Amino acid sequence: MLNNTELKTKLLSFLGSYSHVLLIAMLAVLLAIIPGEALALTNRQEGSGNYVIIGTLVDQQGVPVADVSVKALSINGKELLEETESQEDGTWRLALIEVPAGELQIQIEHPRFIPQTLNLSAYDLDNLNEVGLYGLGEITLDREINAGFWAATLIFLGVILLIAFEKLHSTTAALTGLSALFLVSYVGGTLNPDLFIFSFERGLSYINWEVIFLVMGMMIIVAIIEATGIFQWTAFQAYRLSRGRNWLLVIILIAITAVASALLDNFTTMLLMVPISLQIGLALGINPLVLIIPEVLASNVGGISTLVGTPTNILIGAYANISFTDFLVNQTIGVIVALVGLTGYVLFHYRKDFLKKSSTISPALYKKLEENARLEDPQSLWKAGLVFVFVLFGFILGESVHLAPAVPAMIGATVLLIWLKPDVHQMIIAVDWTTLVFFMALFVVVGGVQEVGLLGLVASKMASLIGDNLPLGIFLIVFGVGAISTVIANIPLTAAMLPIVDFLTMTIPGANSKVLYYALSMGAAMGGNGTLIGGEANLVTAGITNQTNTPITFKGFLKVGLPVTFITLCIGFIWLLIRF
Amino acid sequence: MTARILCLTRGGEASYPNQDGAIAIAKDLDEELLFLYISSVQFLDHTAMPKVVDIESELDEMGEFLLVMAQERARKAGIKADILVRRGNFREVLKDVVKEYPIQTVIVGSSSGDTGVITEEYINEITEAISREYCVEFIILKDGNIQKTFKRDSDWEECQ
Repeated sequence: MLNNTELKTKLLSFLGSYSHVLLIAMLAVLLAIIPGEALALTNRQEGSGNYVIIGTLVDQQGVPVADVSVKALSINGKELLEETESQEDGTWRLALIEVPAGELQIQIEHPRFIPQTLNLSAYDLDNLNEVGLYGLGEITLDREINAGFWAATLIFLGVILLIAFEKLHSTTAALTGLSALFLVSYVGGTLNPDLFIFSFERGLSYINWEVIFLVMGMMIIVAIIEATGIFQWTAFQAYRLSRGRNWLLVIILIAITAVASALLDNFTTMLLMVPISLQIGLALGINPLVLIIPEVLASNVGGISTLVGTPTNILIGAYANISFTDFLVNQTIGVIVALVGLTGYVLFHYRKDFLKKSSTISPALYKKLEENARLEDPQSLWKAGLVFVFVLFGFILGESVHLAPAVPAMIGATVLLIWLKPDVHQMIIAVDWTTLVFFMALFVVVGGVQEVGLLGLVASKMASLIGDNLPLGIFLIVFGVGAISTVIANIPLTAAMLPIVDFLTMTIPGANSKVLYYALSMGAAMGGNGTLIGGEANLVTAGITNQTNTPITFKGFLKVGLPVTFITLCIGFIWLLIRF
Repeated sequence: MTARILCLTRGGEASYPNQDGAIAIAKDLDEELLFLYISSVQFLDHTAMPKVVDIESELDEMGEFLLVMAQERARKAGIKADILVRRGNFREVLKDVVKEYPIQTVIVGSSSGDTGVITEEYINEITEAISREYCVEFIILKDGNIQKTFKRDSDWEECQ
């Protein structure tokens, strides 16, 4: 007789020997049960009746509306026969057990839309009885301007103003907006259902993770590349090449900055270029601002020729499915011509400074300048450069297999971390989490105004104004967004404009070439040149020059920035008309 | 470093008159100069853009370059000058440097409006506090000329 221990040992041994058989058997049982359960669940959710009424719900912009309550009621409206909610694609399905006699009411309700009631006549019900299926087609819901609409709108405007007037750090401002939206929805919504804006899950669904991971991947790649000192070295070579000809120096620096800005973001480009350009200017005995201001103007323009050149392009590319190659092919020539116009104006504006003779730099200063512009780590440079080229290829080749740009960016970043083995702690710091949190919170805040229909209203008004006139649409977006961008931060502006441009793209004939998205890209970036507060790159440039008692005043920047903005917007607009 | 005169400067063309003023004072007193540049990245606090650049090091190198220029100006006037770049809060860095080196006189430029690192009120606030605590003299220059001085008071107990 076996004791308990021996019995257990034998049992475990048996199970171990036939474990694969048992596993297959278990899987087979699960596979038999689960679909049936899922079907039963589906039937329970959607009703198990044989008479099905279907439809699709959209808003005035044609965007599907989810979570709408759809009820089938008997003719006197008192007996609830069946109810459901619309899906993410706006479709809904009511399955009735039997077709009622007389007429049927379909009630459609949602907190942010005006309720609708549809009556199905006896004739309609006869058809349902005969066929077993009745389609109501696409039903357009009208927005209800209620307390939730105003709450979301005020929160959005509040965030914009907090960022514009620098009352709070941008990330804090965006988080404040996000928190306010959920507070209003969950606390306010309990007291007054009209205040409900969206649920937590719905709010988070507005976060575009492709943007977040693309920005994260590029942050790591850029941090490794910039640590090599390549940009400062290039600026120093420009100084050597120009041989005291200041007009030539500024042309080369504009070109370097524009190219750098197309590959990195313009903010990072200016953080790298300003200190070395300042030293070069002082060494030459000229006002450093005659080099630096043209650089920052060029960085705002040059950045829009690629997907990764500006955060606004990353937003636009992810939203509208515009690829790296699309930006390159459709924007580069226009950007180059705009840069020529920009260069022409700054050469004219600063002509007295450029005609001045440069002072001779002492050997000690030259040595110091050379030291500050040295390549820190040539070996890392070629490795980082190689990986970066592969990432760019990844962007281009990935388009054919619908690979999100975030994927090659993250792979490139990981390869660099493994290959170069930089200080991981330093690299973790290089991923600027406050920026990523800013983007996430901003997506939710913009999602709030999208949810309540503010953006839809604006889109409808613009569509009525533009009609079928595509050139007018391009003009309004390039110059309208450009004008606003001179004073409002371009990232939240672009995020808010995207659904509007999306609607206009669907409604204006010929706009399906995505020309309006390119117009948005140009307006948002070039408009940032208008004033000192028009772009983050401008502000950080002024912050650095202020550290050396070489301040950039608001008026001083305006005298150059505003004309350059006008010139480049005009060139951009004409280019888009020619290209599309 | 044996310099007894500390001159705070931001470099740049607008600072040249005050640098020349400091050099002239050093010549009168027959003392060496120590130029100090204080870098700060506080201006990045409000931005939401990724700060992936080691901007502190970039500003330090820029500051060194500016101070080498100041050093050359002093050398041409026959004055030996050392240079020092530090990061951080203006008041705290100044106190640390005064404590660390045998400084007897501190020269600062007066506030230049919006672009000034320090306001007039701030200068007035810190000068007496640091003077008393560390027994140093403060000279405030404007366009290279002496605007105000805060002398060490030998009556102060701390300076006995």
